[in-house]
Amino acid sequence: MSELSRTGYHTDKMWVTMGPQHPFSHGLWTLRVKVDGEYILDAEPEVGYLHRGWEKECENRTYAKIIPMADRLCYSASMTWSHLYCKVAEEALDVEVPERAQYLRVVADEICRIQSHLMWLAALGTDLGNLTIFLWCLREREFFLDLNVRLCGQRLTTNYPRIGGVRNDMPYYFERDCMRVVDRFENSLWDIINLTDESSVFVSRLKGISYLTKKQVANLGITGPAMRGCGVDYDVRRDDPYAAYDKLDFEVPVLKDGDAYARYRVRVEEMFQSCEIIRQAFNALQKIPKTAPYRLKVSKKIPAGTHMAHIEDPRGDALMYLVSDGSGSPYRLKVRSPVFVNVSASKAMLDGCRVADIPAVMAMIDMCLGETDR
Amino acid sequence: MAMKYLDKYPKKFRGTGGIRPILRVLRTMIKTTLHRPVTILYPYEKEWIPDNYRGRPGLRFDRCIGCGICMRACPTTCITMVDAEDDDGKIVKRPQVNVGRCMMCGYCAEYCPVDAMTTTPDYELAEFTRKDMIYDPRRLAFEGTTEMMEVHLEEHLQSNLDKGIEDKPTAFFDTDRPVLDDDLCIGCSKCAKVCPTSAIEMVVVGQNAKGRDIKRPKLDSTKCVCCENCVIDCPKDALKIEEVL
Ligand code: SF4
Ligand code: SF4
Repeated sequence: MSELSRTGYHTDKMWVTMGPQHPFSHGLWTLRVKVDGEYILDAEPEVGYLHRGWEKECENRTYAKIIPMADRLCYSASMTWSHLYCKVAEEALDVEVPERAQYLRVVADEICRIQSHLMWLAALGTDLGNLTIFLWCLREREFFLDLNVRLCGQRLTTNYPRIGGVRNDMPYYFERDCMRVVDRFENSLWDIINLTDESSVFVSRLKGISYLTKKQVANLGITGPAMRGCGVDYDVRRDDPYAAYDKLDFEVPVLKDGDAYARYRVRVEEMFQSCEIIRQAFNALQKIPKTAPYRLKVSKKIPAGTHMAHIEDPRGDALMYLVSDGSGSPYRLKVRSPVFVNVSASKAMLDGCRVADIPAVMAMIDMCLGETDR
Repeated sequence: MAMKYLDKYPKKFRGTGGIRPILRVLRTMIKTTLHRPVTILYPYEKEWIPDNYRGRPGLRFDRCIGCGICMRACPTTCITMVDAEDDDGKIVKRPQVNVGRCMMCGYCAEYCPVDAMTTTPDYELAEFTRKDMIYDPRRLAFEGTTEMMEVHLEEHLQSNLDKGIEDKPTAFFDTDRPVLDDDLCIGCSKCAKVCPTSAIEMVVVGQNAKGRDIKRPKLDSTKCVCCENCVIDCPKDALKIEEVL
């Protein structure tokens, strides 16, 4: 878009504030955009309305007490966040998690990924004005939340991983229920795709907007499905495997297109791949005896040192950096939230878009304010 | 492994005149019309929830030994140990939970050494005042507590796994024990007084220069539940928990 055609409207450029309470924002944050007529010249995200001092609060809690807090970083990716926290503590303690726990974590993580992506698809549906997508996605998501209840007793705040393992072994009926839900979900996801990909309105809202190049993605630090939709072939699960991911066979969807539609397609394919991962993990779990250990006893204190761990969150590359001083609570626990970095790229994403595209573009980073503001 | 969705979409032909999209929509519409409703009329109908649901904590008063492990394990410090009257009229310490602050993490049930604290499937907790949200030990009781509501701490020791022993789950209250630093102990008997299981007994080990008895705590390992009360109350920090890993 050349400067000439933008100013051809003979309107003043002005800043428009969207948020903190705005239907597109999915939480409390503000997007300030500079518009010239309908076109966006500049964008500035403002976050911090939900700042709770999470990192500081961790410093006066014992290591075990941080796990339920890590759940509350993000309401829909609670399992991966508490998994990440346990992983960094395990790395600091230098313990190896029993195999059964590793597979259970994979199952739990993938359930979490599917339900998080479904929440995102539901929100994308409402952003684009299609309430049926929202209702159908939430209907499917409910089954996965029910699986969470079966596994660990709560729908969202799972508190399931523990330092050195998992909270409890799966109940005897969990595998049966999980397979049923996954089989059912794969069918009904096609129904939802009928609403989205088969609808030329939906596709045309996403196609051809918000192009990002590989170079921009690298410079802005964008991770997760938003990055893979721009042609960068990187997934922590495959390239820096944790838990049991190195023993599982799955594909990482990567698309070269780089527009919002590509990011949408990457996420939908990821849901199918997650179903496959869950199946394979259960196959592997069947070979491990039921009485096998699933939790290690670990020390309450972590020796002094600095440790880092990262895992593939549904939204991107989540990282935690732990500085311990040898006592029972961390000296410092730094969280690198993928959404915080992704949202800072909103200027590059929105450049050249129209005002009406903002919900569609910003939905593609799957905003979650809990982990952004911490 | 192949891509399931990316191989099929986007479809090459997406003309408006095609009959296929219309048929698809019709099929989906008929399917959803015939489907029974997926919502329920909440206050009248309730979803089935499994026994291991993590609602508010529930207490089995008679099992509790008043050790305070739940109080120290609670991330939101909503548990306080209060005086309560047991069935014989004796005053004992029992946990009182501020359910308004409880985050339903289930730690209290998980760490309780005698499984007196359980999780319960009770989730309708609204009250008119905040004071009503404070559940005293008797009110914490839950009718129909089943075995599934207990959360067992089944940890394995790395040292056992190295030896190839895989069938002996244990927990910190089975293995960790306080050890005494003899030089720091002044024989004040505080540890023996705070011990909820009377695992500590003061024994006379000798006499000092003035002819008074020198007392030292003696631990009965089978009774101890590693509640750390003695460690916290020791005025000279002479006791330390020794972790077995
Ligand atoms: S941990 Fe169990 S036994 Fe100890 S005070 Fe709490 S409920 Fe009672
Ligand atoms: S469930 Fe968690 S927050 Fe609630 S009383 Fe027990 S330990 Fe405390």
